[in-house]
Amino acid sequence: MSDLTIVLRSLRTRAFSSVVVVLLVAISAGLLLAILSLRNAGKDAFERGTGNAHLLVSKDGSPLVSVLNGIFYANPPKAPIDTAKLAELRASFPWAMFVPTAIGDSYRTMPVVATVPEFFSKFEPVVGEPWSFAQGRAFDKNFEIVLGSAAAREAGLGIGAKIVLTHGSGKSREGVDEHAHEHNEYQFEVVGILAPTGSPHDRALITSLESCWILHAHDRREREESHANADAGTAAKDAAHDHDHDHDHAHDEAHEPPITPADLTDADRMVTGVLLRLPSRDSAGAPPALAQQYDRLRRDGSITVALPANEVQRLFDIVSSIDVLFLAMAAATLVSSGVAILLSMVNSMSERRRQIAILRVLGASRTRIFWLVLTESTLVGLVGAVSGVMVCQVVLFLATQWLRSAHGLVIAPSLDARSAVLVAMGTTLLAALAGVVPSVLAYRTSVARNLRPLG
Amino acid sequence: MPEPTDIAGAKLDPALEITQLHFKYADRGFELRLPSLRLARGEEMLLVGRSGCGKSTLLQLIAGLVDPSSGSVRVGGQDMHKIAGATRDRFRGRTIGMVFQTFNLLQGFSAMENVLVAMLMSDMPKSDWKARAESLLRSLGIERLDARTEELSVGQQQRVAVARALACSPTLVLADEPTASLDPENAANAVRVLRDACREQGAALLVVSHDPSLESHFARVERLDKLVATAQANEGARA
Repeated sequence: MSDLTIVLRSLRTRAFSSVVVVLLVAISAGLLLAILSLRNAGKDAFERGTGNAHLLVSKDGSPLVSVLNGIFYANPPKAPIDTAKLAELRASFPWAMFVPTAIGDSYRTMPVVATVPEFFSKFEPVVGEPWSFAQGRAFDKNFEIVLGSAAAREAGLGIGAKIVLTHGSGKSREGVDEHAHEHNEYQFEVVGILAPTGSPHDRALITSLESCWILHAHDRREREESHANADAGTAAKDAAHDHDHDHDHAHDEAHEPPITPADLTDADRMVTGVLLRLPSRDSAGAPPALAQQYDRLRRDGSITVALPANEVQRLFDIVSSIDVLFLAMAAATLVSSGVAILLSMVNSMSERRRQIAILRVLGASRTRIFWLVLTESTLVGLVGAVSGVMVCQVVLFLATQWLRSAHGLVIAPSLDARSAVLVAMGTTLLAALAGVVPSVLAYRTSVARNLRPLG
Repeated sequence: MPEPTDIAGAKLDPALEITQLHFKYADRGFELRLPSLRLARGEEMLLVGRSGCGKSTLLQLIAGLVDPSSGSVRVGGQDMHKIAGATRDRFRGRTIGMVFQTFNLLQGFSAMENVLVAMLMSDMPKSDWKARAESLLRSLGIERLDARTEELSVGQQQRVAVARALACSPTLVLADEPTASLDPENAANAVRVLRDACREQGAALLVVSHDPSLESHFARVERLDKLVATAQANEGARA
């Protein structure tokens, strides 16, 4: 028998209201923790995606759009960088990493990144964490493709699987990209599956630049033939053979030899972005020359240059006000659960007064009664906070699944121990504060009045 | 009844000694004056009086739950109202046991826990709590020690209340209308249980009641109305 036994018995006597209040506190604390975790995980996922690239060059409208398209695969970049500009960029500085990428094709709405082998050997999706293969290897010839971990899981593909890519993202604001078409004539073989990185690259399929250029050279040749046919007045044939991207490539295959690297022209050899890294001793820090190179490239009006890490921070600055709103709402819920503790305990005072009077007769001091009631409310807060941590785990699991399936966001929120301890302590403190009023009422309870009928 | 002595033969202080007690409810116009009342250690007394004459108020004064306007209430030689705050509460817990008409057992607690709570609240040394509680309850015929009080019969509840009152080996047990809710046969049994238990534990017993049928059980019976009236008459004569 101890004071805690008395508190527990008191809670058991009011089991229903005790459970309801604990649940309310748990939901509030869990929600606050879940929002904090999702916010951190989202930021972490964005920061992880930028990897070890110091700079990103593209022809997008702004640095932020450049990062969203080039690293987070939000949309296919509209304007390509031509061969001459690419060569000029390569020669302009002794880059430690120069990885051109072409983004625009897709597989079942998942982005395809056409790039060079250095994408695997020099680019790290997360600083200090190079790529590792769960299965297979990197591509070493055309029409071989490597799948990100989430892409492999979502598509259900394994090593050796043959796939055809879609020109275009396969989706648009209206849901369907009417210009998208499949390149049935060129099959890609899955040769590797990457280990998860917790970055947006997990949803990508990665192949060689030349493979991508061949697909687009194929399209170019078809367009040229269509125009030639039109010029020759073969309008009837045109009607049957729609030269837009809905045409039957299999039909063409019977007549046309496949495109080879030798058929590629400079017009085909386009890229949409270049990931750059300056020589640096420290893998995580920014080298001194970065600012200078950034300024130099910015002066070139024909390209857009972005510092990926800065752009991610800018993005978070933009959404931070919404972020604060969510946090404020969760905190308000937590405060309301504190009010619920207060109301529940004050409401129970009428039935509690007789118990208090009995304890006083048995020798309990007013101060001891005060602490007993305060312990009760604190305990409700503590149990609620601990349950809240569990609620948070469930919410995070459900939110992660939903974000992945509904929006393709690969984030791995985890409960930060520091936040969990802080929220649990805050919740418990709030519950203790909520218990002060009922504790004072208990302290002031008149024994004589509450032991009636006495005779 | 001979005055009890300690092992050296010295006279022990009485269990209860009231001197020139005056209490007045400021808001109700009720006033209680009691010039003297003494109860030796181990003595039993029935204090009778009509409803509203101040029996319960007197018990609250003795227990130190309300303070008198003047006068003293000594329990085991210690003036209750000269002790302040938590010390008085602990003193009450250790020296006074109380039995109520409605028993006032703690709901949701077992029979055993109701007795243990008394020991906990009076900060009694923790050794042999459980053994003493068990022994008290068994001696009063309670076998289902872990049964919640709501699950016990009325008679069993009353015996748990008696065991709780005796938990800390009190000098004095105050019983406030302990038989008011019982039929005559059960009332007689309840009084017997209470007297036997107090005698066994060496505690003085002060029972207040408006029930005249209890008078046959007690060697000493006092009428509160008479004690108060005497006080008023004496005051009137002095005036």
